[in-house]
Amino acid sequence: MTRTGTTHRITRGGPGPAPTPRGRHGSRAALAAALAAVLALTATACGDDGSGAGGDRGAEGTGKGEITFWDNNGGVRTDVWKEIIARFEKAHPDIHVKYVGIPAESAQSKYDTAIQGGGLPDVGGVQTAMLAGIAAQGALEPLDERLEGSPLDGKLNGSMLDSVRSAGGGDRLYTVPTSANNGTLWYRTDLFRAAGLAAPTTWDRFYAAADRLTDGARNRFGFTLRGGEGSIAPALDAMYGQSGITSFWKTSAGGATTTTVNDPRNVAALEKYLGLYGKDTPEADVNNDFRKMVAQWDSGRIGMLSHNLGSYQEHLKALGPRRFRGLPNPALADGTRVQVSNPVDGLGLFRSSKNKAAAWTFIEFALSHAANSRWNRAAGAIPANTEAVGDSWVRESEATALAADALGDGSTRIVQLPYYLPDWNTVSKADNEPNLQKVLLGRESAKDFLDTLADQLDKARAEWDEQRG
Amino acid sequence: MSRPSRPARPAGPTGTGPAGPVVSGRPAHPAGALRPRRSAGDLPRWGLYLPLALYLLFTLVPFYWMLLFALRPAGSTSLVPWPLTSEHFAKVWTERSFGTYFGNSVAVGACSLLMTTLVALAGGYALARFDFRAKRGFTLALLCSQFIPGALMLVPLFQIFAHLRMINSLGSVVVAETVFQLPLSMMLLSGFVKNVPYALEEAAWVDGCGRLRAFCAVVLPLLRPGLVAVGSFAFVHSWNHFLFALMFLSDQDKQTIPVGLNTLMGADSVDLGALAAGGVIAAVPVVVVFAFIQKWLVTGFSAGAVKG
Repeated sequence: MTRTGTTHRITRGGPGPAPTPRGRHGSRAALAAALAAVLALTATACGDDGSGAGGDRGAEGTGKGEITFWDNNGGVRTDVWKEIIARFEKAHPDIHVKYVGIPAESAQSKYDTAIQGGGLPDVGGVQTAMLAGIAAQGALEPLDERLEGSPLDGKLNGSMLDSVRSAGGGDRLYTVPTSANNGTLWYRTDLFRAAGLAAPTTWDRFYAAADRLTDGARNRFGFTLRGGEGSIAPALDAMYGQSGITSFWKTSAGGATTTTVNDPRNVAALEKYLGLYGKDTPEADVNNDFRKMVAQWDSGRIGMLSHNLGSYQEHLKALGPRRFRGLPNPALADGTRVQVSNPVDGLGLFRSSKNKAAAWTFIEFALSHAANSRWNRAAGAIPANTEAVGDSWVRESEATALAADALGDGSTRIVQLPYYLPDWNTVSKADNEPNLQKVLLGRESAKDFLDTLADQLDKARAEWDEQRG
Repeated sequence: MSRPSRPARPAGPTGTGPAGPVVSGRPAHPAGALRPRRSAGDLPRWGLYLPLALYLLFTLVPFYWMLLFALRPAGSTSLVPWPLTSEHFAKVWTERSFGTYFGNSVAVGACSLLMTTLVALAGGYALARFDFRAKRGFTLALLCSQFIPGALMLVPLFQIFAHLRMINSLGSVVVAETVFQLPLSMMLLSGFVKNVPYALEEAAWVDGCGRLRAFCAVVLPLLRPGLVAVGSFAFVHSWNHFLFALMFLSDQDKQTIPVGLNTLMGADSVDLGALAAGGVIAAVPVVVVFAFIQKWLVTGFSAGAVKG
C-alpha cells in the first residue's frame, strides 16, 4: 500500500506510545517559557551596539578613544583616507579612527537605515545631494560655532560653504565642505586638431564641433550625452549655460516664487541641446548613465563628453595624457559662463556621537591644508581649503586648475539647484528621467517636459515653504 | 533518469510516411521499433538550434565582455583579450581585499546553506507528515511572507540584531538570509517529503526503527534531489545578496563580495577592469556549483513542482 502525501496527527503518526496529557502540558509549558524568554530578551533591550540613532543627543566626550568614520565613496577613495587616518593617528595617538567604506550608490540608504535603527557613525561623508534629507531628520550637529573657534575659520572656500548651507535647508552649517566637483567638457585634442577645429570654449563652437566630428557611416560621433540615470542635472547645466538665466527661482510681483526651468529661453536651449541626440550622438545615449557614457567616450570614437572632473583618471588610462583636455562648460558668445551648482562633498558630525570632541578634531585635521590637498589630489577635485588650491599639483592638473579658476575668480555665474527640497531627489530622478528619455525619442516636447518639471518643483517648493512656516 | 522514447508510427503507403523516407528499400524505422529522434515532419533541426544559439549568444556575450575587460590591459580597446594580463585580478584580490571578501562570502553562503537546509528539512517534514491546528493558516503565512521585500524589514532587523549585539557580525547576515529563504525552502521540501510513500516509513517502524531513525534511513536518501535544490538555492542567494551585508556589517574585513563589487563603482568614476575581474571572482563559485549539481537541481525542482 502506498499512501503518498498523507498527513497524520502527531499523536498517532509516529511510533511508540502517544504522549501523555502530562507530557503535552510539559512541552507546552517549555514552549511558553522559551517564547517568553525570547520576547523578554528583545523587549528589554538586553544589549546595545553602543552607537546612536537619529534622535540621540550624544555627548562631547573626552576627546580621546575610538571614533567611527563612514566614507560615502568607499573603495575608490579608501587608500587616500587610510593614509590621512594614519597621519591623524600619528599626530593624535590617543584617538583611533575606525574607517568604514560605503559604496557611493548606497550611502543614502545606509544613513537612512542607521538614523532609524541606530548605528550612526561619529563622522561621515555627506554630499550636498543627500544633505537635506539627513539634516531634516535631525541627525547632524550644526557646526557654525565649532568652525568659528577653529583654525579653519576663514580658510574654507566661501562658495562651497554657501552651497552646503543652502543644501542643508537653511542658515546652519551641517557639513564642513571638503571638495567640489565641476562640470567639465572633455574633448579630444587630436580629433579637433585633425579637423581644424578650435577648442569648444563657447556654445557656438561646441555645436559646430559636434556636427563636424560626426560621421555616422564610420560610427564616429561629435558628442555623447547622458540620457539614462542621472540625466537631469547635466541637461539643466547645458540649458542654463545657453539661456544665460542665472537663478533657479523667480519671484513675481504678487510675491509668488516659481522656478525658471520652463522659461522660454530655457525651452529653446534644451530643445537645441537634446536635438543633438541621434544626429551627432550615438543612439545608445538614451540609456547612458555616467559609466556607459564615460566608457563610450574612452573607446576613442567620440569627440566630446560632458561629465565632471571625477572621470579624469579613467580618461588618462584609456587615452593617455596628450589626446584630451578638460574645460569648464562653454561660455556664451559674450563670454558669460553660467552653470548649475555641482555636488559639494563634506564631512558631517553626527548628533548621536558620544565623542564629539574627538570627532571634530578629526574633521579639523581632514580639512587642514596638507590633508585636504592630499585627498583632492587623489580625487582630482577642487579643494575646499583655500591654501590647498594654491598647491602646485592644482596648477599642473589643467582641468582642475581651470575649474578652480572658474569657480573662484567670479567669472562664472552659478545657478544653485534646490538640493534642500526634500523632494528634489525624487523629482530630479525617478519622476523625470523617464520623461527626458521621451523627449530624446521624440515622444514628448521639451516644453511639455519642462512644464511638468516646473509644476512639480513649484509644488515641492510650496510644501517646503509651508513646513518652514 | 532516462526518458522513455515514443514508439514510431508505421510508414505510410508511399513509404515516406511519418516514420521517414525509405532508404535502400527498407523503411528508416521498421514498424513497431522504438525511435529515439523526432520524425522529419516535425520541427526542423535549425528551428531548434537557431533559437538556442541566439539565446546562448544573448547569455554569453555579457560573460565574454566581463572576461575581456578582466583579462586585457587597462586602456586597451581590443575585442580579444590579448595580451593577457592578470593585473586587474591582482589589484582586486590584494589592494581591494577581495581575498577577505571571498572568504566571508563562502562562510555566509555555507552557513546559510546548512541552516536553511536543516530547518527547512524539519519544517517541510512536519508540514508533509503532521496535521496540526492552523496548519492551513501557517502555510498561507509562509507563502505570504514571500511578498515582503527584504528592504522593508531592514530597520526592525537592524534593531533586533543591535539588541542581540549581532551587528557587525557575519552571524546577523546568516540569520537574516536563512529566515528569508526558509518559507520557499520549507514549501519545496514539504512537496518532496509528500512524494515519499508513507508506507516506507511505516515499514521501518514495524522493523523497530524510531521516527528519527526511520527518517534518516528511509526518507532522507530519497530527498537528495530536493536537498541539493534547496541547498544550492540558499547558497547562491546568500552569495549574491547585497543588502543585508551592506546594512549589518561595517568593518571592512567583514564585508562580502557583493558589497566589495559595489565599492568598485565610485560616484564619478569606475575602474572597469577591476570591476570585471571582481565580477569573474564573484561568478566562478556559482558557475562551479551549478556545473556540479545541475543534474540534481533540474530533477529536484521538477519533482517538487509537479507533485508538490
